[in-house]
Amino acid sequence: MIGEALKGHLDLLLLTILSEGSAHGYAVIDSLRQRSGGLFDLPEGTIYPALHRLEKQGLLKSRWREDSPRRRRVYELTTKGQQALAKRQDEWKIFSRAVNATVRI
Amino acid sequence: MKKNIIESYLHDFERELRLNDSFNVELLAEIESHLLESVERGLRLGLNQEKAEEEALKRFGTIKVVSSTFEKERITPMQKILLALATLSGLFITYVDSRPTWDDTGITAGVILLLCGLLALIGYQRPWLLALVVGAWIPLYGLFVTHNFASILALIIAFVGAYAGWAFRIGIRKAFKTA
Repeated sequence: MIGEALKGHLDLLLLTILSEGSAHGYAVIDSLRQRSGGLFDLPEGTIYPALHRLEKQGLLKSRWREDSPRRRRVYELTTKGQQALAKRQDEWKIFSRAVNATVRI
Repeated sequence: MKKNIIESYLHDFERELRLNDSFNVELLAEIESHLLESVERGLRLGLNQEKAEEEALKRFGTIKVVSSTFEKERITPMQKILLALATLSGLFITYVDSRPTWDDTGITAGVILLLCGLLALIGYQRPWLLALVVGAWIPLYGLFVTHNFASILALIIAFVGAYAGWAFRIGIRKAFKTA
């Protein structure tokens, strides 16, 4: 249930995490898990297709970093990604407000 | 030398990616880096090497789950347009072929072969589906309406065309990469 609900908002979550600084896939997934208190615990491999799609759309860019014990592909938000994030955050506010009002929380 | 389970996973994953025409060296390197990081985390938490590798793979997801997520992400609007075009073309070819005045089977076969080959060549990524939506209508009509069992050949020709176009596209891409 949580996994299915999460899929519709994964882009927003990934863009939010990466808006706070560049990170490699493992760190993004770790952050997602920690911030959600373990609730957003998708199979780790399923995050990469979303990261690659966001990169293809020009919302992220990536580069290989060699300064750690092993090579890591690090993602960061582009200017287009920052604009997309702002738009999605606004949409989320409207959506969550409407849901809360409907279910009377 | 015995492969560890991470190496085996990467080997199988690479094979799956190649089958789905989504293989690229960087993706595999990224996944390897992730898995090794995950194993290190397990070791830091006190697991032994074998358990840490098992845990890393468990957290990463099965090859089927991960590759199907990649597959879903590849279904772009262009892929949907190409599939719709292929389906409509398949239906149109069947309509023309079913007319009593039409008796040029060679042209029908040639059109199916070329259409499937061309659509796979310009970028449709699932040749098997392409072959089905173009080539399945004539056999369906043949089997259920006219009881013409030889019409199954249309589907075989569609598969040949689709996989030929797909193989040609991969070949061109490889040639450009190595050039």
